[in-house]
Amino acid sequence: MLRILLIDDTEKKVGRLKAALVEAGFEVIEESGLTIDLPARVETVRPDVVLIDTESPGRDVMEQVILVSRDRPRPIVMFTDEHDPGVMRQAIQAGVSAYIVEGIHAARLQPILDVAMARFESDQALKAQLQARDQQLAERKRIELAKGLLMKMKDCNEEQAYTLMRRQAMSKQQKLIQVAEQIIAMSDLLG
Amino acid sequence: MNNDFPPTPLAWVNGSDAPEKHSLDIGFMALSDCASVVVAATQGFAQPYGLTLNLKRQSSWAGLRDKLVSGELDAAHSLYGLIYAVHLGIGGTSATDMAVLMGLNQNAQGINLSSALQRQGVTSPEALERFVHQSSTKLTFAQTFPTGTHAMWLYYWLASQGIHPLHDVNSVVVPPAQMTAHLKAGRIDGFCAGEPWSADAVEQGNGFTLATSQSIWPDHPEKVLGCTRAFVEQYPNTARALVMAILAASRFIEHSPENRRSTAQLLSGKAYLDAPLSSIEPRLLGDYHDGLGNHWHDPCALSLHDQGRANLPYLSDGMWFMTQFRRWGLLRKDPDYLGVARQVQQLALYRDAASALGVPCDVRNMRSSLLIDGIEWDGSDPAAYARSFRLHALADWPAALAHH
Repeated sequence: MLRILLIDDTEKKVGRLKAALVEAGFEVIEESGLTIDLPARVETVRPDVVLIDTESPGRDVMEQVILVSRDRPRPIVMFTDEHDPGVMRQAIQAGVSAYIVEGIHAARLQPILDVAMARFESDQALKAQLQARDQQLAERKRIELAKGLLMKMKDCNEEQAYTLMRRQAMSKQQKLIQVAEQIIAMSDLLG
Repeated sequence: MNNDFPPTPLAWVNGSDAPEKHSLDIGFMALSDCASVVVAATQGFAQPYGLTLNLKRQSSWAGLRDKLVSGELDAAHSLYGLIYAVHLGIGGTSATDMAVLMGLNQNAQGINLSSALQRQGVTSPEALERFVHQSSTKLTFAQTFPTGTHAMWLYYWLASQGIHPLHDVNSVVVPPAQMTAHLKAGRIDGFCAGEPWSADAVEQGNGFTLATSQSIWPDHPEKVLGCTRAFVEQYPNTARALVMAILAASRFIEHSPENRRSTAQLLSGKAYLDAPLSSIEPRLLGDYHDGLGNHWHDPCALSLHDQGRANLPYLSDGMWFMTQFRRWGLLRKDPDYLGVARQVQQLALYRDAASALGVPCDVRNMRSSLLIDGIEWDGSDPAAYARSFRLHALADWPAALAHH
């Protein structure tokens, strides 16, 4: 059974969304959205989905969503009356997986949540790939820096420098990046 | 609008041959022939192609297979026979289209017997054949996977000595790193596995090497870089970049004896083989001692590159494993040997990668080999080849003929 953290940020529809969710068979933990520390609640409750019910998402709500996306990523679905496309874009950028305007029907909840979770998973995979790519580019730069330093120190060519670094790394059961960092640190020390 | 939101991957892939996926989970087993994969991942061979390789050590071939099929692993150091068994739907999984991206090595597996058999004078193939047919106890041999290369080398070698592998001895599956312990405990009488576990059995005084796999077939196909067909189709640039990174690493390892020695030191690390250097290094350099007092330098020891000859995924190499599945009754009828091999062996992709690196490529798709029993294999008539053996378990042959 899906566990849903329901953030009620509206006075108009109190209880209505919760009733629909319970009817559709979800486990619902309901919170008022006015004073909540959302990342902390997500950490404690560990919901499968965070659902925010709001008339119009304001700055405070967006801020909370950004914090959750950064620190405790979860699929977030936002139900709202706000039609403004600008607000919708802001919400998506903040990390909302699905932005639903009006019309809450129990029968539609499951497909909406399914889409939100699928979207969330693909976003997470993409983020991990981008992070890996950033790290890989950074490592490559450090290795090339170390190679250049070694070429000067040993008065050798590029291939010889790589081979020296690799043999050193392998004989110490280390990665090439570790030896590169050692060479850079040594070079800094010797000025 | 802020610009922090990550662009879609297509924004930087379109119109280039950049990899579609940058971070790959690569499975491997703790064996000396995983060297090119480990060196590629740790020694900066993948970054120039835009890849990060995350090594994932596996404890059994069955586990590795399941993760490869489920997609938890993107690609893996795999047994030739494992990839073909999954593709054909033999064994624990339903058929899944698979791909061999490149060969990772030739040679360097071994058949070993226990010290207990040695004490009984069973130290030659002839003595083993006599023991098997005259003793009342049935010997138990371990291999590493029911359709794997070790099962096929063990069966082929036993049969070449007149021992029927399915009738005359028992066969069990044991993960390679556990062979020595099982041999020592007397739970098995012999085993066939990859290095360093043969050398380790000798080194620890638990057994001796009776035959090397290269004595069965010099320069035989062994481990491959395997993945699902879906992976190659979804990420063709990534697959080619991965082959280039590992091919470059294999060339580096074989560039000098110093590089081979450093590779042995890396492999002995806890995260990789977690085995003593003394079990890994000698045979990685071709220096064998068999535990019976014989020493030799083997010209057909572990080959990871050999100017690309160890890496080209020949169609005939893939087909051979299907002929042996047929021979031993794992396939009930002849598959479309050539058609299946053409689907699985990613020859065009390999040739692209190799030529980009300046690695020579044989223009032929088949190669010809002479095996220990004097029978030649060149891939030309696989169905007839599968039926040509005196000892076999062909399912559709009359049972009475099977023992002759």
